[in-house]
Amino acid sequence: MAKLTPIDSYPTPTSKAQSETEEILLAHLPAPDNELPQLNKNSHLQFVARNLIQGFPARYVSQDASQPWLLFWTLQALSMLQVVLDPNNRQRAIDTLLSFQHPNGGFGGGPGQMPHLLPTYASVCALAIIGKPGEKGGWDGIDRQKMYDFFKSLKQPDGSFTVSRHGEVDVRGIYCLLCVATLLNIITPELVEGTPEFLASCQTYEGGFASASFPYFVPVSSEPSSDPKLLSSPRPPLGEAHGGYTFCAAASWILLKPFIARSSPKPSINARLLTRWLIQMQGVRSELGGFKGRTNKLVDGCYAWWVGGCFALLSELDGDNATNGDEQEELGTETDEKDDDAWTDDEDIELDDIWNPEALQEYILFAGQHPGGGLRDKPPKAADAYHTLYCLAGLSAAQHRMVPDRARRKVLEALWTDNSDQVDGHSHKWWMKEVYTHSMAWGEATRRKRNILGGEGNRVNATHPIFNLTATHTEGVMAHFYQQPAPPKRQ
Amino acid sequence: MSSVSVPYAEQPQWADVVPLPQYEGVEPLAPIFYTNEYKDATDYLRGIVKTGEKSQRVLDLTKHIIQLNPAHYTAWQYRYETLLAIKSPLDVELELMDEIAIKHMKTYQVWHHRRLLMTHLLRNTDEASTSSSSRSPSQLASTELTFIARTLAEDAKNYHTWSYRQWLLAFFNDDSLWDRELDFVDSMLNHDIRNNSAWHHRFFVVFQSGVREGEKDRDRILRREFTYVKQNISLAPNNASSWNYLRGILDYNKIPYSRLTSFVQPYTVPHADVPSDLVDLEDPPPSRGAQLPSPGAIEFLADVYEEEGGNSILKATELWKSLASEHDTIRRRYWNSRMKEGLRAIQVKS
Ligand SMILES: [Zn+2]
Repeated sequence: MAKLTPIDSYPTPTSKAQSETEEILLAHLPAPDNELPQLNKNSHLQFVARNLIQGFPARYVSQDASQPWLLFWTLQALSMLQVVLDPNNRQRAIDTLLSFQHPNGGFGGGPGQMPHLLPTYASVCALAIIGKPGEKGGWDGIDRQKMYDFFKSLKQPDGSFTVSRHGEVDVRGIYCLLCVATLLNIITPELVEGTPEFLASCQTYEGGFASASFPYFVPVSSEPSSDPKLLSSPRPPLGEAHGGYTFCAAASWILLKPFIARSSPKPSINARLLTRWLIQMQGVRSELGGFKGRTNKLVDGCYAWWVGGCFALLSELDGDNATNGDEQEELGTETDEKDDDAWTDDEDIELDDIWNPEALQEYILFAGQHPGGGLRDKPPKAADAYHTLYCLAGLSAAQHRMVPDRARRKVLEALWTDNSDQVDGHSHKWWMKEVYTHSMAWGEATRRKRNILGGEGNRVNATHPIFNLTATHTEGVMAHFYQQPAPPKRQ
Repeated sequence: MSSVSVPYAEQPQWADVVPLPQYEGVEPLAPIFYTNEYKDATDYLRGIVKTGEKSQRVLDLTKHIIQLNPAHYTAWQYRYETLLAIKSPLDVELELMDEIAIKHMKTYQVWHHRRLLMTHLLRNTDEASTSSSSRSPSQLASTELTFIARTLAEDAKNYHTWSYRQWLLAFFNDDSLWDRELDFVDSMLNHDIRNNSAWHHRFFVVFQSGVREGEKDRDRILRREFTYVKQNISLAPNNASSWNYLRGILDYNKIPYSRLTSFVQPYTVPHADVPSDLVDLEDPPPSRGAQLPSPGAIEFLADVYEEEGGNSILKATELWKSLASEHDTIRRRYWNSRMKEGLRAIQVKS
């Protein structure tokens, strides 16, 4: 029997909740010689399909401003379970999603709602899953110019973005914006100027990232017309290190790498401290190896993705400012070599996990599955659409070792056709090729595959460690918006 | 109250508004089954947004929707714009929102709305600084801090509430407000020494918000913080929050970890090995009830040895090995990787 987290004979509300949770979780551990744990794909599929076709019960009214999320969670859960939607429902989904688009750009939480960064990510990613080019296909129904204008209108002097007009600033919004701008090929240096510095300021002393930071400004001159200057310090994080914000900040950082490489001075984050914090978020045996989202909080299935999903990102955050670009002449040889060591050639990839993906699989399989179908935070909670996706995505992150695939990137680079003169009638956009090839070149390490707990029957699809879309969906939508030939199938 | 509400269609004062259904010409996939009341109210909101009306009745309507679904950010946004457009008194709005904030404290919008209101209220106090009737900025913020403390008493780790508190302090940036924060942290940690939000708040106040008047003697501040965190570690040596705070102080102030070696050592061994006559005010010993050794302490001491370099790395390796094989097995691979990294460092040197 695993021993409970020590409470030092000093009980507090935190330790009481912790002990209660551990008792419940341990009761979900099967006897040692029991049969292998199963992922109950059929019952999860029924849960997801019921939501999709029959709709959501009235208690989901709290999600009325998150309707695109309900669709994304559901459709992406189907992708994880390797299930494709029939053409009729596919078209309905596309029409539903396009009805969320606001006439002034961006998507809202439902028809007639104001545009907001979060539902914009959910809508665009859902369209990446079920949409296609052409009339009624959904993709060409996205107004990219207005989307860009909407993004620009949210930009703040400290490099951050509000999530909507008069809305709050936080790194979830930035992650959503950067994913969409990358997928749709509307990212520009101007749009993201100052954003890396903002993200860096959100890293807390614990190593994870907070929701936002506070900008202090000083007046530059006595002239009232001049913009005040942003101080680089103090620039304190608002809120403690948190799994959701940490994923969003880390993924955002990687999307910004081509731009960071060309900035001077280069902002940086502390990858070592981040690594330690991520490692500390994994629960012990009595927590079945699940992840928590903050120090001294309880484990929760969704952090399987938000925290467990971060480990795939670490290789791109180490060696910090390098973009691994061949054409980065300003990069010193030292960083170049280091990068090459890190992932140039498959033979030398550092494939040792530093975390415990088997234990995470145990958490999802033993505690994350609701007996009635769907997945959940923890027992005895009910299943819901959000936890169903993020438990499955976390399980996927534990089953598949995703790495930036140098060989794949070479293929994409060789196929690259420079359309940037034609695209939008703008002049050469130097970043397009880099953004495209870096974002597309994630794949599963071919050597030393991870053990799939419970056997092959439990396998779920691999998912892109930044966008949380399958490789097929990522490649389809990006090749379309970057006007590139469809990349060859992976082996 | 809401269960007996009369549909807007039956209210004469709404007769001039054309309600807008949500979906027109679309048979939505995965629809939500709304209550009639919710559907009715949001149909009227869509109707109002379409005409752009800003009026008192819009405040009634948006309040109604917010009570049914506090995450309806469009209702909040439209409400805020209406408040400004019709010059509705914002201090009244703030009080009106108290109840909703307490009831729905997990919702982003509840706290963000207060931020917007406070921003305007501060601007108003600046403009009306000559009038005697208005409250001073520090009074305004002080009342708000009291309100926040009340909600934290109900949900001591609420993320939005804590970050709102931090925003408020930074935004008003008034020494008389900052001065009281450590007492507040104390009261929260006395209630629960493991509340990481309160620890983070302390770090925010002490280290990350600039150096205020009366805190220029940084050595004194550091001594105070070391004493504080050591005492907390001695009470509950397995509390990850206090170890992280200790590391945070050292990293932030670029102080070598070895400064804490004598304090940490007794926490890295089982109780029996701790000398019982240890009375040291500088380095308080583990409490009697402590479950030792503490993995946090072992990790810390290993970092001390790693920092020293040379042959000390072998001592660090022994500690990492004990974490990997006995005291923190879930992180076995991490400790193994630290071992490899440490040994590689020795090889490179020799
Ligand atoms: Zn969760």
